[in-house]
Amino acid sequence: MNEIQVPEEAHPSDEALLADLGRVLAACDSPPDGLVERVQFALELENIDVEVARWERAGQLAGVRSSVDQGTITFTVSDLTVMINLTKVGQVHRIDGWLVPAGEHGVEVRVAGHGSSSTVSDEGGRFVLDSVPRGTTQIVISVGGAASRRTVVTPAVVL
Amino acid sequence: MTDVDTAEAGPPWEGLRGPELFEACLHAAREGDKRGLDRLVAELTPLVWNVARGHGLDRHTAEDVVQTVWLALLSHLQKLREPKALAGWLVTTARHEAQRANGRKQPPVPLTDEMAETVPSTLPAPEAEALRTERDRDIWAAFGKLPQRCQELLRLTVLAGRAEYRVVAEALQMPRGSIGPNRGRCLKTMRELLDIEGGSA
Repeated sequence: MNEIQVPEEAHPSDEALLADLGRVLAACDSPPDGLVERVQFALELENIDVEVARWERAGQLAGVRSSVDQGTITFTVSDLTVMINLTKVGQVHRIDGWLVPAGEHGVEVRVAGHGSSSTVSDEGGRFVLDSVPRGTTQIVISVGGAASRRTVVTPAVVL
Repeated sequence: MTDVDTAEAGPPWEGLRGPELFEACLHAAREGDKRGLDRLVAELTPLVWNVARGHGLDRHTAEDVVQTVWLALLSHLQKLREPKALAGWLVTTARHEAQRANGRKQPPVPLTDEMAETVPSTLPAPEAEALRTERDRDIWAAFGKLPQRCQELLRLTVLAGRAEYRVVAEALQMPRGSIGPNRGRCLKTMRELLDIEGGSA
């Protein structure tokens, strides 16, 4: 405890304290590594008139995380729910998806550095994409199909 | 993106800082120059992050809020009337999203000791490796004990800087003249907490 020095100015000025706080916040509570890049990737969209689906993390109390490699993830926005189930197959993923309300919606899965895969959900709202590369991933839904005027996007998640 | 002159001359915001930088980047982004948006994301993500964290969100939920806010900006790019209002818009939207995320939190469930260990605490432990000195650890501990409103105000003050007081005041819906006194009271409380930390050693 001899490293503690009682400072001569027991009350540093506001400016000095703010400067210290800024340094401490930057050191131990700065944004996670890669977040800026994930956001930049998520914003690389041709159509910028988009609605944002939020990641529902309910039920993951003890397992919250920003990356997922197995299991189900749910995104929602207003009346639309996007559920995907991931299955790891070697170095790639199989994605089984389900859109509610059901219908033929355009589905694009973008993976950073790997372009994108597209499909259309069936009448029941289900879709399957095999061999999706792992990595920073975003799903873009054209509600009601390609001629849709409504585009829903998810955040970029690491799958 | 085929504008060779622009690429060679460097982006038009080169050398700019603060609000002027954001204004130039926003203008470029509106014209479809992705570099403008990328720069804004790099410059202002810490601001959005700190708003989310200042609302007591854990790091994962805070990341969700950051992404949602930036994606929401896309459809608002053309609607922001005043480019200088960007930082304020980001803060306001982040607060709204953070409150929404807080509202969605599950009601607290009784935790077993085992579960409690696996639930990440909102703030990293003060002995986090990044905090190298006793003084830094004391500051972090004292900050964590401040009322949430103080934590948010101080985070914004540190991030936005004095020049952006107007942004902070508007986003926090505080009368402009009350920011300084409020900040002063928060810092006073923090100093008192620091004295306790120091005194107990």
